[in-house]
Amino acid sequence: MFPKGGTNEERLDALFRAYGEACPDPDPSPNFMPNLWQRIESRQTYAFSFRRMAGAFVTAALALSLALGVYMAVPHNQPYAPQSYIEALADSQPLDAPEIVGTVSLDLSESSH
Amino acid sequence: MLVDFELIKRAQKGDSAAFNEIVLAYRKRILGKITRLIARPEDVEDVAQEVFLRLYFSLDQLRTPEVFEPWLYRLTVNAAYDHLRKQRRRQEFRISDLSEQQVMMADAAAGGKVERDEQQQKKIREFVDSLLSEVSESDRILLMMKEVEGLSLKELEKVYDVNENALKVRLFRARQRVLKAFGSKEP
Repeated sequence: MFPKGGTNEERLDALFRAYGEACPDPDPSPNFMPNLWQRIESRQTYAFSFRRMAGAFVTAALALSLALGVYMAVPHNQPYAPQSYIEALADSQPLDAPEIVGTVSLDLSESSH
Repeated sequence: MLVDFELIKRAQKGDSAAFNEIVLAYRKRILGKITRLIARPEDVEDVAQEVFLRLYFSLDQLRTPEVFEPWLYRLTVNAAYDHLRKQRRRQEFRISDLSEQQVMMADAAAGGKVERDEQQQKKIREFVDSLLSEVSESDRILLMMKEVEGLSLKELEKVYDVNENALKVRLFRARQRVLKAFGSKEP
């Protein structure tokens, strides 16, 4: 059964040949093709539903982006809109009556002590 | 080639009948290759179906029908490799699942049914399988494709998309390991 004689190399070659003969091409079962098509169809269904889900997700993301874009583009009346430091300073201390150039009040009672 | 290029082109365009014809032409050859690659007759059909399943979903990626066969063998090699890796992970569970009595009963049943030639063939398969367990799954497949399937280095180069020298080195190392195991395990 197992190859005898010769070097280990030769016997290993013979063993591989014997192995090839011990594993002939088997005949496919009658269910081979139906099972294969069943597997193909089930994979297709899965791929289709995954693609549909991915498509819906992409559509939703696009719609959301578009809606946000539109929202950002439309000007809004913002009473507390962010402004620069100079603008904030100008708003809080109008130049027509700046505190720093206002009338100096002198407390005379302090000097009497 | 077992099919003409026109049939492959039709299958690439989604013609199910053409794909069916390709499977019918190649299934016996692929079943044989897988039988020798994985050495587990009960799993052969499952792996072969996986090969054709992958073929179906990747056929549109095949650039030229001329390279169809090496490409189909590459799919076969990959599916066999995936199966062997899964099998190695399952092996421990499978052995521990059977009680000693169950193993003895299975052996006795097999001995009663299988004829002498088949038993010898089974022993050869098991012995080669045990030798090949000394190398990695990928080396096992490479060695089988060369030594048992008889693919030349040029053909292997196309299947693996690796240069000939690298394949030679890998084959040499794998064969040396198997040879070493052969020296110590030979019955």
